[in-house]
Amino acid sequence: MFIADIRKDFYEVVANQRVVLLVAPDIDALCACKILQALFHCDQIQYTLVPVTGWQDLGTAFLEHKEQFRYFVLINCGANVDLLEMLQPDDDSIFFICDTHRPVDVVNVYNDTQIKLLIKQDDDLGVPSYDDIFRDEDEEGEDSGNESDEGSEPSGKRRRFDEGAVERRIERQRAKREWEARRREILFDYEQYEYHGTSAAMMFFELAWVLTKDTKDMLWWAIIGLTDQWVHDKITNMKYVTDIATMQRHVSRHNHRNEDEENSLSIDCMRISFEYDLRLTLYQHWSLYESICNSCYTSCSFKLWTLNGQKKLQEFLADMGLPLKQVRQKFNSMDMSIKENLRDVIEESSNKYGMKDIRIQTFGVHFGFKNRFLASDMVHATAALLESAEKDDSETDNFIKALDALSRSNIDRLHSGIELAKKKLIAIQQTVASCLCTNLILSQGPFLYCYLMEGTPDVKLFSKPMALTLLCKYLLKAFVLSTRNKRCKLLPLVMAAPKDVEKGTVIVVGIPPESETSDKKNFFGRAFEKAAESTSSRTLHDHFDTSIIELKTEDRSKFLDALITLLS
Amino acid sequence: MDPSEVEFLAEKELVKIIPNFSLDKVFLIGGDLGPFNPGLPIDVPVWLALNLKQRQKCRIIPPEWMDVEKLEEMRDLERKEDMFTPVPSPYYMELTKLLLNHASDNIPKADEIRTLVKDIWDTRIAKLRLSTDSFISQQEAYAKLDNLTLMEINTIRAFLLDTLNCMYKLRSNVQ
Repeated sequence: MFIADIRKDFYEVVANQRVVLLVAPDIDALCACKILQALFHCDQIQYTLVPVTGWQDLGTAFLEHKEQFRYFVLINCGANVDLLEMLQPDDDSIFFICDTHRPVDVVNVYNDTQIKLLIKQDDDLGVPSYDDIFRDEDEEGEDSGNESDEGSEPSGKRRRFDEGAVERRIERQRAKREWEARRREILFDYEQYEYHGTSAAMMFFELAWVLTKDTKDMLWWAIIGLTDQWVHDKITNMKYVTDIATMQRHVSRHNHRNEDEENSLSIDCMRISFEYDLRLTLYQHWSLYESICNSCYTSCSFKLWTLNGQKKLQEFLADMGLPLKQVRQKFNSMDMSIKENLRDVIEESSNKYGMKDIRIQTFGVHFGFKNRFLASDMVHATAALLESAEKDDSETDNFIKALDALSRSNIDRLHSGIELAKKKLIAIQQTVASCLCTNLILSQGPFLYCYLMEGTPDVKLFSKPMALTLLCKYLLKAFVLSTRNKRCKLLPLVMAAPKDVEKGTVIVVGIPPESETSDKKNFFGRAFEKAAESTSSRTLHDHFDTSIIELKTEDRSKFLDALITLLS
Repeated sequence: MDPSEVEFLAEKELVKIIPNFSLDKVFLIGGDLGPFNPGLPIDVPVWLALNLKQRQKCRIIPPEWMDVEKLEEMRDLERKEDMFTPVPSPYYMELTKLLLNHASDNIPKADEIRTLVKDIWDTRIAKLRLSTDSFISQQEAYAKLDNLTLMEINTIRAFLLDTLNCMYKLRSNVQ
């Protein structure tokens, strides 16, 4: 059931209770969790935070806590499956779900008692209407009741009645079959494509705003949640721009007080500003040259894996009049004269090289004298911390470290995250370059396929879902720009990488085809399920995104064949 | 005494806040905390003010002495005089630190205030050092220092007492 008034139906319900927060491992969920934690601290609401990495984790966590807790808040997990069937809770457990995964399972939408969805109802959901899917069972009983009555009538009239009754019964059965066929069709259409809705962090920020407890910290976290959806390509450009406009209104409201010259704020206060900044990842914490080489947009536009591309890059830098020595040193040490007009200069030159969208609307934060970050910097740093492939750290440790990095008091952790993110980006670019140069991407008919061998450098980084998805997207963009085959440009990409060498599994990810106006709807979730069923491959559909699965290495080829037959 | 203990004592000072909630009178061992009404200023101890501020339940109003012009005057006066001048508040250093760390968005010109208070503190500590130096070198038996705050005394207490003890031992051994 959708919640109408988030303050009355959610916050005031949990106000004097203890709650369990079950949080999925993505940055948007982390930001939403931070906002909710801050609100709970203000009102001294006791909570238990449990990071969950998949459906099995969710089930285990639920079983552990169901005796002591009645209220469960699920962040970025749980909306797209029938939760009651999966968890089998008692009747008094109540679940508040704030999830960006769509489509929302119909049982979750129409359950009135135990499942409360913290999702706006107009969030382009397209839920089928109740009558189309659920049908009362009473009509069945009437049918059989009538038949038995009429069966006991004396014979003369009986024949006529019988015929009438038989006809009606046939009619009802036909109608029921038709209704069921339509219902299957509607459900199939509804659940076929997987996509994402409004950021969970933004939902909780709105809750904070309604409670008038919103601070700049919470606003910044909401912005990071939104930027995470954009960086990991989960929402369309249109939606991103609309949400940025919403955030911009909040930012102006908070910045209203800074304007007063007489009582200017301390330098330590957080200042969020709207920036129309360059799309170069981490460029303020790196050198400009490295950033251009390792950002997806520029690297793909120049085709930096070819010699020609390198030459074009040198031309580009020469065209802007930037000396190589300046461009290769740390951004903060570049000459002020160059830094001043950098954005405009780069925009002008990139227009000449076919990069029309080198600038993107985003937000930046500024506190203290040294600390300036863009929202996308924070997303990359936190994602690198969350998925760091160190041997000793468990996933919960990584989660807590990433959560800490979002606080203003843990700048060191953030900087270490930025360093890890740089390594990750370099690894991604090198892998993309090597895949393209060695033609590792094969066209299998209805989709493109790429398999990362075990000995590939940095392959451990790509055993994690977010890093692999990012690699997938960059690879597809680069491939589309480098191939001459027109048909291949419209194909989706399936990528596999070794996940666990001891257990012998690979992680498989599928992403939709690359296009300017893509609506980011992914059909691989259902396709993977069906292919696994038909070949009885040993798969684990544990991840909250249904388009990411784990598969035994031996079953790889038959799974692929099944997928090819399914999709052609 | 630990500086944190001095800070703890400083938190008993009263400061004005404007709450945004309402609560009836609260009766605590240390005293009563009067009824809270949204939008009406009320005096509370600093420890409560900071807790409420962190829970976003109030707005802190800076004390009267925490003003750029007044602090500038005090700093200039301190620099002119040889003796210690009267302080704005017996816990001026701790209050500045606490309020500026937690509520700097409610205090106008927070950076300048921080600098001015630090200047006053530096001048007073320098005077303290000079006077201790002359006390020891002239082997005085008695010194009178007015207008010192607990925090300043605390910075020198342990060191001074230990040194005086050592010097006494050295002198008594020589003789």
